[in-house]
Amino acid sequence: MIEFSSVEFQHPNGVIALKGIDLTIRSGDVISIVGENGAGKTSLIKHINGLLKPTKGSVSVFGVDTRKESVSALSRNIGIVFQNPSHQLFSESVEDEIRFGMINFGFEEELVAKRLNWALTLFDLERYRTISPMLLSGGEKKRLCFASVLSWDPKVVILDEPTSGQDFLQKENLMNVIKILSSQGKTVIIVTHDIEFIWPLQPRIVVMAGGQIVKDGSAENVLNDEDVLKRARLLKPHLLSLTEGLVVKPREQFSDVYDAKKWLVKTLRG
Amino acid sequence: MQWISQGFVFRHTKSRFHDLDPRVKLLVSVELFILSLLVSSIPKVSIALTGVLIVSFSAKILGRISRSLLYTLMFSIFIFVINLLVGYSPLDSLVIATRFLTIVGSTSIFFLTTPPDELELVMKWFRLPRDLVFAFVTAVRFVPVMMLDALQIMDAQKSRGLELQKGNPYSRLRRFIPVLIPLIVDAVIRSGELAEAMESRAYGAVRNPTSIFRLELKQRDYLLSAVSIVLSVSSVYAFMFVL
Repeated sequence: MIEFSSVEFQHPNGVIALKGIDLTIRSGDVISIVGENGAGKTSLIKHINGLLKPTKGSVSVFGVDTRKESVSALSRNIGIVFQNPSHQLFSESVEDEIRFGMINFGFEEELVAKRLNWALTLFDLERYRTISPMLLSGGEKKRLCFASVLSWDPKVVILDEPTSGQDFLQKENLMNVIKILSSQGKTVIIVTHDIEFIWPLQPRIVVMAGGQIVKDGSAENVLNDEDVLKRARLLKPHLLSLTEGLVVKPREQFSDVYDAKKWLVKTLRG
Repeated sequence: MQWISQGFVFRHTKSRFHDLDPRVKLLVSVELFILSLLVSSIPKVSIALTGVLIVSFSAKILGRISRSLLYTLMFSIFIFVINLLVGYSPLDSLVIATRFLTIVGSTSIFFLTTPPDELELVMKWFRLPRDLVFAFVTAVRFVPVMMLDALQIMDAQKSRGLELQKGNPYSRLRRFIPVLIPLIVDAVIRSGELAEAMESRAYGAVRNPTSIFRLELKQRDYLLSAVSIVLSVSSVYAFMFVL
């Protein structure tokens, strides 16, 4: 359980990044934080593992006040995959890069080996095991970052712009990973501009603008609110627009393109 | 770290000193720098340091220069200790250590009050090679970017359990490897990309590219230059023959 109570955060240069944030994230939630650049999304997630401490109010993670705990202690339960992979890759090999977090958290050697193999397989990185992370492509580097964070099995996984630099297939794989994490009862927080990506996941959506939460609700509820979309400079997902344009409406919203295709083919053929 | 970084990068500030011609700002900085080199006693170093602080105050950068001096204080203490160890008296060691602070302060004045564009104009005015000017100015421009990158890398590594503040100085230094490597690799990649982008926009196509901006001295520039030269010459005279 993550709880923000009247959180305000002011940068040292005086810029207020967050104000009046009240937010509760329950264990097992899949939640997406959306909003334009500078809306305060990254500042919000940095409060969860204590990288930023609130200027006013408090943030509690699994009952612990983040102001009273170190980043490394909080990070054992909170894994953040940052937007830019080149900001974290430094090891000599892909496997060393994945081991890094587990070693820092003092995992037993056997467990490190087991989790390393699991992460390499999950993200299709086995063949790169011994090569330098610097030689990987942009998409592969991103997958390596996911693998290195998921390796220590955090209870909460935070993905900052996970789809940037990913092609369609990689996005589908990522979607499957998120579904697996969700089915394992993990809390998944996705910070993104990519509304098309999150729509099939049907997460709870928190919309931010000007350092404040302007809307918090189900995907359908939030993404049908034209005012909120305008304020957060977002576009409605194509599948939602498609449904609106249809004379004969499907019984339920299309969850993804395959679902839409199936329904359209069936309906058009009568 | 962010707090310290503010003491080294240019930020637009409204002050009469900022509005001066960059060559005059350079002149004031160089004069203070020379004075700092000449000091050899506590009264002299106090005068030089006061000069740096007065100019900083008039340029409204006193707070920021204090931060850079605070950071420099670590090196200054190191210099003090080394001088003590090699046999200098505590007073002489103090003068040498404080002189280092004054030297850093005098050079910071120029960089904290001069935007990279003006820096480029000054270097061109000195007829330095264009490639050298471009490389230097680009390096200065990228200081804040690198600072931001460093902060983001530190955040990313701390989120993977890296504790930068724990242990003795040697282990702390070692813990910075996961921060330094991505920072250097990123800088190398960025410089390559920048070079390609510049070449794609015809950098180096002609020997003398069009110069849009020109430096022009105004009355206040002449006035301040004259005042600063008189003050500096008087101070040098006082340092050599009076104090």
